[in-house]
Amino acid sequence: MQAPGTASPLSAAQVGRLREEQGKVVTSCQEKIQHWRKVENDYEALQERLNTLPDKLSYDIMVPFGPLAFMPGKLVHTNEVTVLLGDNWFSKCSAKQAIGLVEHRKKHVRKALDDLQKVMKNFESRIEFTEDLQKMSDAAGDIVDIREEAENDGTETKGKRRTAHKPHSKPKVLDVFEVHFQENGMDTKSKGCSQSEEELWARLEELERREEMLGEFDRTPDTIEANGEDTTSSEEEKEDKTDLNVVHRVEDSTTQDNVQKEVTNSELFSGHVNGPSHYHSDDEDDLGVDHFVPTIFFSHTVEPKRVRINTGKNTTLKFSEKKEEAKRKRKNSNGNGHLVPELPNIKTPADIYRVFVDVVNGEYVPRKSILKSRSRENSVCSDTSESSAAEFDDRRGVLRSISYDEATYSDNSEGILEEEEEEGQEHLPKKLSTLSGTFEAFSGTVIEKEPLSPLIPHPSIAHPVLPTIPERKSEEVLSEASEETTKRISKFKAARMQQTN
Amino acid sequence: MSGREPRREDEGAKLHQKEELNRKIKEQKVVVDELSNLKKNRKVYKQQPNSNIFFLVDRTETLSECKNTLDDLKKAHQEIENSEKTKIRK
Repeated sequence: MQAPGTASPLSAAQVGRLREEQGKVVTSCQEKIQHWRKVENDYEALQERLNTLPDKLSYDIMVPFGPLAFMPGKLVHTNEVTVLLGDNWFSKCSAKQAIGLVEHRKKHVRKALDDLQKVMKNFESRIEFTEDLQKMSDAAGDIVDIREEAENDGTETKGKRRTAHKPHSKPKVLDVFEVHFQENGMDTKSKGCSQSEEELWARLEELERREEMLGEFDRTPDTIEANGEDTTSSEEEKEDKTDLNVVHRVEDSTTQDNVQKEVTNSELFSGHVNGPSHYHSDDEDDLGVDHFVPTIFFSHTVEPKRVRINTGKNTTLKFSEKKEEAKRKRKNSNGNGHLVPELPNIKTPADIYRVFVDVVNGEYVPRKSILKSRSRENSVCSDTSESSAAEFDDRRGVLRSISYDEATYSDNSEGILEEEEEEGQEHLPKKLSTLSGTFEAFSGTVIEKEPLSPLIPHPSIAHPVLPTIPERKSEEVLSEASEETTKRISKFKAARMQQTN
Repeated sequence: MSGREPRREDEGAKLHQKEELNRKIKEQKVVVDELSNLKKNRKVYKQQPNSNIFFLVDRTETLSECKNTLDDLKKAHQEIENSEKTKIRK
């Protein structure tokens, strides 16, 4: 029946042990059955008692008084039973309901009993079978054991091939050939043959790479131009990935998104250069690298600069950098590609916060000059919305009257803003609210980059604003978000100037 | 061999059953004796199985109940004895 791997599969000791274990199971089943029978009997007695309990109004009973003593007493609530539902939860019910509960539990007990009976019968039959087996093995006169040795060679080579195959996994097209090669290599039966095949394999690999490269060359210019920021981000990935195997690259290129697909393919080329040097397609790889690296490097260096500039306090620097960046972007024919995705993202103050905070240790930490950068980066639309939501309604009337004076004050406060962020946050609403007083209808126009002056109610402020507008317009083409702040500042400054004058 | 083992088990189970029956019969005999020798004004309490509460019961009723159960037990015992005898004869 069973062959535990020993020479004599039906050794008496092992069969005896099997028989023993089966007997143990049967005895344990019997014990369990006994236990369940007792439980069932208890439930039956309880049911009987519950059946007759409500027959009388009161019963004379001996009330247990500790484990040893009793007291004569009376059972009065004969139709009130508290049933243990489990986990020390009780439910009060009538005797009849309790009988139903008992019946339900008895059903469960009966089911358990039936199951145990089945198990016991099953094992008893097994015991019989084992005993028959024992008899046969004891008196093995006319009984012959027929066995066939299983040949594991096929399965073993299969398993080996698979494990060894993983690091060198090739495109599926060549699977058949690959199998052949690997089998030979692993079996070490025909080493010479395997070597020749290895060469053949290398050749095929090379050819394939060439094919891929040729395919890439056509696409590469589009890739760089179209990707913009994506190329920069993916370039970082590429730098990381160059250490990896070429094979992984191939897999990556197939699995990644369409947008990044070309880029990853370019990674493939660089990987070829850095990775396996024994490939014969170096010249082609170099070509690929020359073709790709400059452009990618270009956009990559742009990115961190821009970020730093945003946090910086020097406005003029910021602007010049922004211009340059925008020009570069345009060179890459990416002018729309870059700006469009950034601006629509910022629709609420929360978005602004999200965009212009740094993540430090998994926590959002606002940048030092977040207020300033925010006001510069984003259109007044967001700022005014914030201010209007928070304080515009309250201060509106007052601000209209005061706004002139406060404008000057807020200008001063902005000077503080640049240095102290928290303090600035307190001041900002004030400033914004003052602005909102003046910008009431102005938020819409800012987005459109149209002149603000006609919409501003206060002539005193409106006048200084006017001269700034042309400047802003000239700069706006490059980065529209930053203009608003300059306009604002210039406006206040102008207002203050006017006041002083 | 396969036939012997179950028979042994059966025998063991029957022996166990018989012992249990004998014990119960003895118990019941004692109960009947005690109940029949009680004074008429004595109170008799019967324990609710699986609990510690004793219910007051009628003495004569209990006595008759106990006699009945004793008879049943004796009958069962007799049956077992008879079956054993028939087996031995076979």
